[in-house]
Amino acid sequence: MDYTNQIREIAARLLSENRIDVFIGYRKTGFDENHLPAFITHPNATGDLVFTEKSGFNLTNYLKFEHTRNKRVGLVVKGCDSRALNLMLTENQVKRDHIYIVGIACEGVVNEQGEKAQNCLECVMPDPVVHDEILGVPSGKRDYQANSDVKELWQKDLAERSRFFEEVFESCIRCNACRHSCPLCYCAKCCIDQETSTLYHGANTTSSAFHALMTWSLHLAGRCVDCRNCEKACPSHLPLHLLHKQNEQVIHEHFQGHLAGMVAQDRGAFYKYNLNDPDDFIL
Amino acid sequence: MILSSNTNTNEMNLTTYITDPAGLEQFYSAVIGAYETYGPVETFGKFEFRKITSLAGCNPDPPILSSMSVKALFFPRSAKVLRYRTTSSGTELSDTAEDPLAGKRVILGVRHCDARALEVLDRVYKWDYIDTDYLNRRANTVLISTRCDQAAAHCFCTSLDYDVEHLDALDVAIVRGTDGKIYLQARTEKGEQFLKQHPPGPADAAGTSAEQLRKQYVTFENSFRLKMNYKEINGQMQNKFESPAFEEASSTCISCNTCAFVCPTCHCFKISDERIRDEGVRYKSYDSCNNIYFTLMAGGHNPRPVKYRRWRQRAMHKFVYYKERFDLNLCVGCGKCTVSCPVNISIFEVANRVAASMQ
Amino acid sequence: MEATVKDQVVSAEKPQLEAPPGWQPVIMGILCNWCSYAGSDLTGTSRTQYPPNIRIIRVPCSSRVDPWFIIKSLQTTADGVLVSGCHPGDCHYITGNYYARRRFLVTKKLLNFVGLHEDRVQFSWVSAAEGAKFAQVVAKVTGAIRKLGPLHLYKKENRSQ
Repeated sequence: MDYTNQIREIAARLLSENRIDVFIGYRKTGFDENHLPAFITHPNATGDLVFTEKSGFNLTNYLKFEHTRNKRVGLVVKGCDSRALNLMLTENQVKRDHIYIVGIACEGVVNEQGEKAQNCLECVMPDPVVHDEILGVPSGKRDYQANSDVKELWQKDLAERSRFFEEVFESCIRCNACRHSCPLCYCAKCCIDQETSTLYHGANTTSSAFHALMTWSLHLAGRCVDCRNCEKACPSHLPLHLLHKQNEQVIHEHFQGHLAGMVAQDRGAFYKYNLNDPDDFIL
Repeated sequence: MILSSNTNTNEMNLTTYITDPAGLEQFYSAVIGAYETYGPVETFGKFEFRKITSLAGCNPDPPILSSMSVKALFFPRSAKVLRYRTTSSGTELSDTAEDPLAGKRVILGVRHCDARALEVLDRVYKWDYIDTDYLNRRANTVLISTRCDQAAAHCFCTSLDYDVEHLDALDVAIVRGTDGKIYLQARTEKGEQFLKQHPPGPADAAGTSAEQLRKQYVTFENSFRLKMNYKEINGQMQNKFESPAFEEASSTCISCNTCAFVCPTCHCFKISDERIRDEGVRYKSYDSCNNIYFTLMAGGHNPRPVKYRRWRQRAMHKFVYYKERFDLNLCVGCGKCTVSCPVNISIFEVANRVAASMQ
Repeated sequence: MEATVKDQVVSAEKPQLEAPPGWQPVIMGILCNWCSYAGSDLTGTSRTQYPPNIRIIRVPCSSRVDPWFIIKSLQTTADGVLVSGCHPGDCHYITGNYYARRRFLVTKKLLNFVGLHEDRVQFSWVSAAEGAKFAQVVAKVTGAIRKLGPLHLYKKENRSQ
């Protein structure tokens, strides 16, 4: 999967025609084959841009206010990235006419070891669901697959699961990289960071990590697109996808097969309801 | 067991011991058996320092790219400062329990950059406020190194203002010689006494180790991808406060707190009072100057709301401000910030680009 | 100064964990104003007894309940949480409880996933006329939590002990 030349050409055209102020894409690190996000503001600098299966980071994260405030942005998005973008548009975080979307019909990204990423193996939508221009041939929606790690954990009993997650929460350093790299976490100040609240717990303990990660995943439930920005960002390598995929599974199973961001103007799962939603668990 | 090391290194008689991999393992086991020991333990694919009771599960020589720093054992991620209780007659304060990190202990697998970072941090903790907890932990610890053989992609320790080859911030240095033997070298008086108590092998009476160690160091030095002239950087960056290179270099930064949290020399903290009803604990936890609310004051004013200015402050603190105040760079060239950064922003690159830019 | 060192003994969820003598469960009750809170009021005026372990917080609607409140309750003093609202179709704000029940399901499953027993967090539909039902619900939930014992997992530590 290599769209390097096309991306360079599109970026150069958009910048020289002054249709955008900045083009956000990927560049090489300069010493190995991995890719990093890049902000290109000049048409002559577009030679740095690349796009291959190493281009993993979800760039829609940079549409948050503090990164590209009021700028016109050209952006490269893959399938999952475009779903996040859809949600950001629906939730009024981005103006549609301020962005030029280059969609890639994605064939999956690989990690640093060259293996296909887990979320790509379980991908439901490799094609961009919103775009101004598309590169590659769309292959269509795929069947939803339950995440294998979540399934495996459910085989274990309660005590084992609690031991596993206690280990996870203990290793969290509360750096908040997960929140900052997630495109859908755009709150100017996170609810759990409000120091004046009695609900604040800023110390780095197992309990505060439980509180932070659980609240975060539940606020993201029905909106997470499984791009794995969070997991790749985590310096403690926590398996954050377990929480999000667990929520996604429950939502997909019980709420009419809802998946985040697949359709334009479609809100997250918690912003809709169905009269037949299950409530047999309610006394 | 542990004496303070305040003697001049040149006049000390420091011994080097020679052993092999099996002997080294025995040495580690003996140390673990005799003292409270911490070492790198793997959790979720990266190595954190935890208390160990055996070598099982501990790797005293972990790969650089997945190692966390030893900072948390001296400046913990979260520490309780005091306890309080509000009653009808006022607020009662009480001290917290004994510090579990205060006892005499040995840490295995300390990287040279980590040890140097502690040396750099010592200055600020002995400065305007004497942090007795930190200094106590420092005094009660013996630092035993890893066997750093080869630089990783983001390392640049040899480019900075410390002598990696003879670093005496470590008490015991372990080097794998080019002849396949393992050399344990006492670097401080504390280390000398420690190795006397637990000799890992025969002492190098003939003095053959010096040549081996020099050869190994030359190979090590040549393995670095990143090299720079720190004096140039210190000098140039002083005049580049207004450089547009800061904004370009930090454009992809997402202002998470990761770089400062994993950095072995970053020491900013925040205080939070956590309470349930009438009882509470005051915590001191890590904070990062890259956080958008780092400079937020009571009343709502935030002097550094703009991203590139926070990045500028960070880079300047590392290579200019700390240098001006303590004559030491705050950066030790470990590369952990770059490895952990979600978008791999490299402070090496930023410093070089700024220094090279036109004002 | 005491550091929180990251090598603590794991305290997995175990039923019958040493409950100190005389221990009473603490249940956080979050009730919607129009139905459940009024229903609990009716229980009181009817002189129907129910276990006193529940601490009630009134919210305008069950959909006001952010999963965050449930997590905070469990993290601080609560051994269990009960959230109660109007029956579907009877919400004072027409559709609030429809949204709420989606959130409730996902929250309950996620908390169970990370190791909390599913009886720790419970939900009910109690109308303003169901004073008797409210008493039964509280009794049932309190009994279940009493059997499970005090909650230690992920508890925020800031008591003197």
